[in-house]
Amino acid sequence: MAFPHRPDAPELPDFSMLKRLARDQLIYLLEQLPGKKDLFIEADLMSPLDRIANVSILKQHEVDKLYKVENKPALSSNEHKLLACRAAFLFSVDLVNADKLAGRTRKYKVIFSPQKFYACEMVLEEEGIYGDVSCDEWAFSLLPLDVDLLSMELPEFFRDYFLEGDQRWINTVAQALHLLSTLYGSFPNCYGIGRCAKMSYELWRKLEEEEDGETKGRRPEIGHIFLLDRDVDFVTALCSQVVYEGLVDDTFRIKCGSVDFGPEVTSSDKSLKVLLNAEDKVFNEIRNEHFSNVFGFLSQKARNLQAQYDRRRGMDIKQMKNFVSQELKGLKQEHRLLSLHIGACESIMKKKTKQDFQELIKTEHALLEGFNIRESTSYIEEHIDRQVSPIESLRLMCLLSITENGLIPKDYRSLKTQYLQSYGPDHLLTFSNLRRAGLLTEQAPGDTLTAVESKVSKLVTDKAAGKITDAFSSLAKRSNFRAISKKLNLIPRVDGEYDLKVPRDMAYVFSGAYVPLSCRIVEQVLERRSWQGLDEVVRLLNCSEFAFTDMTKDDKASSESLRLILVVFLGGCTFSEVSALRFLGREKGYRFIFLTTAVTNSARLMEAMSEVKA
Amino acid sequence: MWETWLWAWCPKESQKADEYLREIQELGQLTQAVQQCIEAAGHEHQPDMQKSLLRVGLEGRAGQGWEGGGMDSWGSSLCCPLALLRRLPLETSIPMRVRRVLTARGDGEQGKYRYKQLTIQVLLDRYGKPRAGATLPPLSTPSHSLLYPLAIQICEYLRLPEVQGVSRILAHWACYKVQQKDVSDEDVARAINQKLGDTPGVSYSDIAARAYGCGRTELAIKLLEYEPRSGEQVPLLLKMKRSKLALSKAIESGDTDLVFTVLLHLKNELNRGDFFMTLRNQPMALSLYRQFCKHQELETLKDLYNQDDNHQELGSFHIRASYAAEERIEGRVAALQTAADAFYKAKNEFAAKATEDQMRLLRLQRRLEDELGGQFLDLSLHDTATTLILGGHNKRAEQLARDFRIPDKRLWWLKLTALADLEDWEELEKFSKSKKSPIGYLPFVEICMKQHNKYEAKKYASRVGPEQKVKALLLVGDVAQAADVAIEHRNEAELSLVLSHCTGATDGATADKIQRARAQAQKK
Repeated sequence: MAFPHRPDAPELPDFSMLKRLARDQLIYLLEQLPGKKDLFIEADLMSPLDRIANVSILKQHEVDKLYKVENKPALSSNEHKLLACRAAFLFSVDLVNADKLAGRTRKYKVIFSPQKFYACEMVLEEEGIYGDVSCDEWAFSLLPLDVDLLSMELPEFFRDYFLEGDQRWINTVAQALHLLSTLYGSFPNCYGIGRCAKMSYELWRKLEEEEDGETKGRRPEIGHIFLLDRDVDFVTALCSQVVYEGLVDDTFRIKCGSVDFGPEVTSSDKSLKVLLNAEDKVFNEIRNEHFSNVFGFLSQKARNLQAQYDRRRGMDIKQMKNFVSQELKGLKQEHRLLSLHIGACESIMKKKTKQDFQELIKTEHALLEGFNIRESTSYIEEHIDRQVSPIESLRLMCLLSITENGLIPKDYRSLKTQYLQSYGPDHLLTFSNLRRAGLLTEQAPGDTLTAVESKVSKLVTDKAAGKITDAFSSLAKRSNFRAISKKLNLIPRVDGEYDLKVPRDMAYVFSGAYVPLSCRIVEQVLERRSWQGLDEVVRLLNCSEFAFTDMTKDDKASSESLRLILVVFLGGCTFSEVSALRFLGREKGYRFIFLTTAVTNSARLMEAMSEVKA
Repeated sequence: MWETWLWAWCPKESQKADEYLREIQELGQLTQAVQQCIEAAGHEHQPDMQKSLLRVGLEGRAGQGWEGGGMDSWGSSLCCPLALLRRLPLETSIPMRVRRVLTARGDGEQGKYRYKQLTIQVLLDRYGKPRAGATLPPLSTPSHSLLYPLAIQICEYLRLPEVQGVSRILAHWACYKVQQKDVSDEDVARAINQKLGDTPGVSYSDIAARAYGCGRTELAIKLLEYEPRSGEQVPLLLKMKRSKLALSKAIESGDTDLVFTVLLHLKNELNRGDFFMTLRNQPMALSLYRQFCKHQELETLKDLYNQDDNHQELGSFHIRASYAAEERIEGRVAALQTAADAFYKAKNEFAAKATEDQMRLLRLQRRLEDELGGQFLDLSLHDTATTLILGGHNKRAEQLARDFRIPDKRLWWLKLTALADLEDWEELEKFSKSKKSPIGYLPFVEICMKQHNKYEAKKYASRVGPEQKVKALLLVGDVAQAADVAIEHRNEAELSLVLSHCTGATDGATADKIQRARAQAQKK
């Protein structure tokens, strides 16, 4: 198992540089306030900070105490205070005001990460503490979570952009891309789809143009960049994940590349924080596997391990000495990891069987393929009636809506009524959000639009038809999932059983039932190195696309770098998508690098749209 | 001795000079001679004298044809003053400038190269920049504007990079051009754009600022149109009180901070109504401002929605208020009423009805708390009913179900779960027999098993319909009977399901039976 890469697969660039960069900048900021200081840090920034600088580094730079900011003022006695935060920073106001009341004067520094917005300063001013604090920026926008996965750790991006239409973060994305192209050479080939992708791309280009020519001569290390909006493909993100890494994320929530395994996994009375990345040898072999293979693999591994332990029986003293000094530590480490992952598997199995996971997956597949819609609808209804889980119910409703181009009015009303009865009336706001984002909609009265549209498009030229489609789609944002699925062949025809051990295509990440739309688009465009021949798909997706090849750089790029592809997910990507593209890479001799605003999954998407405070 | 040579250097006596030169050369003192000449020139204030000195210096250099690192940088700096001397009208104040160039060069070190270039730039600026001093002749005089082409020639002569040279001169020229009050705005703008095109390093916004400084706002706006970086246009537009234009330019730039700056300007400049109208036409700015209001000025947010007649969002706003802001029940109900009204106006009957239901539920929950005690407020309808059943108030629960039209299916699920939680098996059995279950009897089996009551579960398993019979039997652990049913059904899927439940020795016989049935089915 654990598919090896093709021998000609290119090497990944070294992204640890990004970490060093962020760390150095942080240290510089810390040293701006010499002497002992306390660091107050917003909860959201806690984990990313942990990945950049551990406590001993902070101590070295005279950070005395580290406070996680929850809304109460903490008492501390040090001269200086540092506050690191995102956009929300009202707590700093409280903190400073509390000190003021108590008649203490201290030095304060507010550090905004990844960037300081004008509005931040304004709020400080309005609260009357602008003069009491100094502000700074920690331009820390790219955290390498793994050798091929960079995260901007901006989970709020999804809601801010796709629901509120707030474009603040686009600038941050452009800055991040600019940083990457400065460090690793500019990208000869750029592709993208979606409005946000286009805006980020344009802003980024502007930044590059303003820069003087120094970096332009660099040989590009990464040959292609592909930008993709999350709303191009909601479906994939809404599906239950069945690849190990995705499943771990769905079940335990991977946060900033590490996961908290509770007592039920560690089989002790303590929870354990485990870093999940390529360095974990056991995990690295199973992360991209379909869950059904994982157990078998782990038990095989356990047997091998046992055999290796057993070798020491026939050893003489010298061999034993060797064994203890060289191999034992490695074996023990492997042993520890193995038992952890077996524990995790067991715990997943237990949770999944309780909820009748098979039924759920069956319903999802039916929705994806578009058959037995009535049956699926009543399954969802029962799901709601039984109060299985508010987020899960919501997810299924959205999946139904998107795959069916909106719910029929009767279902739309009845499902919503049921939902409100089960989970509380405040979800009325959630529904209004979902509708605005196009995740849960009502079919336009009699979906005759499609019929009219197709007739019209036969009559008039393509261009005019495109315009008419635009006009229609502005009336109701439709997903056209069924048509896209047919065009791109997203539901593989299965003859016989799909062998999940030896996957044929990217559909394996969804048990062979569905090829992730986002990944398919990336595959198709890379194959053509343009959008040519995909006009119909683009029209159905109803998003603006772009492609740009810089011939001067393309010539300079080595064939190796041309097989390195950076895929940028604006609004988050799931581990299933990462696994699918890793698979594609192995098949074609590419290597994919992922840049996402945050790693996401169906639950996170739904929570972002939810109005109810947990 | 070379002093003599120097003095001999007059047009009339050029032959003599040549002789002197040769002499000096033979003495090996040429380098020194030339250097001194040039230094002298630098200190000389008489243009004629300066000219001579420099020419001598240059001749000397040419005559000797030296090579030598330090001297190379000499060449270019020498060219500069000479070129100027040849072409510039002599009455302008050359000496100072020449001296500057030469002192910079005089150090002769490579490290000073930068300084030298800087000096040349200063020099160019002096020639290129129109001066507004009263002591100088009017700027539009032909003699003065002639200097621009000259300056450009100097740049080309010195092979200065475009950004440092030609662009600067052009920018200066444009700044001078905008002050020509007798030429129309269009003509000036066009003339400037024709000359400048998109020469790198030229800032149209600087030129526009100059135009504005001369009171030519319209011209400034026209010039800003040529500025490729929309972000650069904004500050000046704001200064000129063209805030709306500034807003669209800021949006074009994609810089949200800039948009925000303009928004705050607009907010202070316009009255509220106009401000909102402006926002309405700029969705990007509107969403940005809304985000700000959500955190800082909730009341403004409401006004925004009101202005737009956005009843849907107004409704949502009041709903949110009913949860966040209001403590008292009366206040909350009132907020919900406002929300419901808004939803009606938005023609969203669903939301309006749901809101009205919620008002009724809140009032009822309040009553329940008063009469029965316990926690009811803010429970969902489902949970309210469950709580009632768990508290033994079955009648009330049924009344609630009727009042709020809880569908049968939900009611059954709800009662089933609640009664099983209470382990009130008697009541559950009564309930199961009250009429035909709308959810079938499999859920009864499932829930009893969840409470580990196999005895009760078996009761219901017998009532499960044929399609789910096998499942039910497996749930209660009766593998043998499940196998019989599956064989009877001749259902392949069911057979394999049972087979997967056969474990170890105990079900060995059953497994065999299934295999036999399968084989038989295949024979047929």
